[in-house]
Amino acid sequence: MRYRTQSIAYWYFAFAVCLFGLQMVFGLLSAVKYLGPDPLIDIIPFDRSKAVHTNLLIVWVLTGFMGASYYVVPEESRAEIYSPKLAYFQLGLWATGGVTAVVGYLFGWTTGHKLLEQPYPVKLTIVIVMLMFLYNILMTIRKAGRWTTTEGVLIAGLGLAALLYLPALISFDNYTISIFYRWWTIHLWVEGVWEMVQAGLLAYLLIRLSGADREVMEKWLYVIVGLVFIAGIIGTAHHYYWVGVPAYWLPIGGLFSALEPLALFVMVAYAYVAMRRSGLKHPNSLALHWTIGSAIFTAFGAGLLGLAHTWPAVNKWTHGTLITPMHGHSAFFGAYVMINLAIITFALPTLTDRREGEDQKLGYWAFWLMSAGMFGMTLAFAAAGVGQVYLERIMGLGYLETQLKLQVHMIMLTATGVLFSIGVGLFVYDFFRARPRFITQGDGAPRGDEEAAPDDGAAAEPA
Amino acid sequence: MTKRHTRLFFLGGTILFALIFAGMTIDTHRHFDRLTNADKLTDEVIAGNHVWHRNNCINCHTLFGEGAYYAPDLTKIAQQRGAAYLAAFLRDPSQFYSEKVHRRLMPNPNLSETEIANVITFLEWVSNIDNQGWPPRPIVVTSGQFTQVSNTPEPAQAVSDNPVDLGNALFFSAELACQACHSTRADVTLAGPSLAGIKARAEEILKDPSYTGSAKDVEGFIRESIVEPSVYLNPGPNFSTGPGGVSLMPADYKTRLEAEQIDHLVAYLMTLR
Repeated sequence: MRYRTQSIAYWYFAFAVCLFGLQMVFGLLSAVKYLGPDPLIDIIPFDRSKAVHTNLLIVWVLTGFMGASYYVVPEESRAEIYSPKLAYFQLGLWATGGVTAVVGYLFGWTTGHKLLEQPYPVKLTIVIVMLMFLYNILMTIRKAGRWTTTEGVLIAGLGLAALLYLPALISFDNYTISIFYRWWTIHLWVEGVWEMVQAGLLAYLLIRLSGADREVMEKWLYVIVGLVFIAGIIGTAHHYYWVGVPAYWLPIGGLFSALEPLALFVMVAYAYVAMRRSGLKHPNSLALHWTIGSAIFTAFGAGLLGLAHTWPAVNKWTHGTLITPMHGHSAFFGAYVMINLAIITFALPTLTDRREGEDQKLGYWAFWLMSAGMFGMTLAFAAAGVGQVYLERIMGLGYLETQLKLQVHMIMLTATGVLFSIGVGLFVYDFFRARPRFITQGDGAPRGDEEAAPDDGAAAEPA
Repeated sequence: MTKRHTRLFFLGGTILFALIFAGMTIDTHRHFDRLTNADKLTDEVIAGNHVWHRNNCINCHTLFGEGAYYAPDLTKIAQQRGAAYLAAFLRDPSQFYSEKVHRRLMPNPNLSETEIANVITFLEWVSNIDNQGWPPRPIVVTSGQFTQVSNTPEPAQAVSDNPVDLGNALFFSAELACQACHSTRADVTLAGPSLAGIKARAEEILKDPSYTGSAKDVEGFIRESIVEPSVYLNPGPNFSTGPGGVSLMPADYKTRLEAEQIDHLVAYLMTLR
């Protein structure tokens, strides 16, 4: 830790990690319900456990991103956070809103829009929190008078994420139009601006961990986010194929969504080349595992497995089956869970009494259990999904009969889900095992970014 | 290539494709009304839309294949089942499916009669949206058998112009999907009665003095059952609202089907043993 206010990040990370653990409880609960009968059907039916599971994910991933920003921005801009008080107040408000939403779902307080179930007051709270966050970060950068491409991409991603949440505040009477704009939030988040956040954090971590040349890394960072948007914006179309839009969305959407993996493969090459060229001497080898792992798992889960069912002629048959959670689980894990765990693992030794590179055994267990567990879950969903497409969509067996035949895969899903959850449990335990200790390093400490020059773009305001 | 160049690539590419996307969005708005039959977007449909959202239906079911994967897709359910069946189902799902057999059951949503009527109207509106012909073949809740054995990529094309073959194709077609409720096997009962051996059963029914319909022969009986399903009520707890009540089968085939299509269906059903 080089700046005192970077310690704000610790509390964001702590909250995020707690919710991550809780997310597993509702994930496993939902998986077991596939095996049935469900003794909790009248207490927590599937729709509620599933909504809590996905919403916890969104809340904790965003919490992690905000924590990461509070950690990264002071270093990149070489200044303390503008208002630590505002940052803590923001966390309090965010936590209150998040917890209210999750508890509300358990009692049926929902708007019933997939992934945007948050009731209107909670949605407004989210907007206010995002504005507080952006204000604080932008004031920090403005006061410092210095910003780098890396933090610019990171903050622009979060700024645009806030902007793209706004359509979620509008309600439409026409169901098709309401789905149309729901994807502006969801798709353009996860296959657009959140990728910016991931790429920004990836660049930051690779520069720090491998000592790669900043100028080169930031040059390619632009290429990656450029590719993300060139393919990803019109790639929204793969959610539009069958919802009541004109036919031209199919071929155009097919083409652009087939291009979406390109950015993700470039990201893997980016990480690999940085690792090869600059060596792996950094003591925090666990953080490097999470960083490189994130790039690889994203290319696999979001890239390859997304590509597998994105073409309209294929999607016609696979749409609305367990093929989708196959892609969804592995993509979210690779892109947003692993990058969060990477930055947390990277930052933790500077925020706690743990020494860099020491005592990583539990952390490695967590890494491998989660990676293996998610790989297994992906395969279980894939086997179930392919089976479902064949039996139900091709051969015309009924939905319920098909589901009975898929039980073996759901047992596999639950088993690998347990492995994954043990990994998460270890990560949470390992996080809280280290006690927070905020000591700023003196000037004598190695900085590793001496070559970092301010971005030459004077068009300073990112977002 | 320098950072300046790649930044230009990022900004230029993003702006260009965002503009194209915006253009497509504007054009799409010109088509929404026609594709979604916006003129039929009544207050009941909108109220039904709210019932759908308030009850979090999307986190188990899918509409247009979108939602969660724990319960059947409902895009075409209103056409397959009809309002009478759906209303009876929504009043108490446990009368129709059992956790013992299916290992999965819909919890009772505890809806009022108005809410039930509205959400069904909403689902009817949804089922008529022009969504590029998805699903390509019918997705059914139960079937008890493989029902789509044709090798053609599109659903059930008739193998000849023979009325029986045409009726067979129609029975399993995406637009009608009779198999969603009626099996053609004697040992499988779905939402409606099995149609195996309907010819022989029709003969028995016609002889029964309690039959009050106007059919004189088996063909006439089958035709009557399609267009006026409530004239003769099949015994069974979930086929009708009870003796003297109405059938749970959709009552709109009189208008949904051409006279010729009904002839084909009758010809096909006469062959089921």
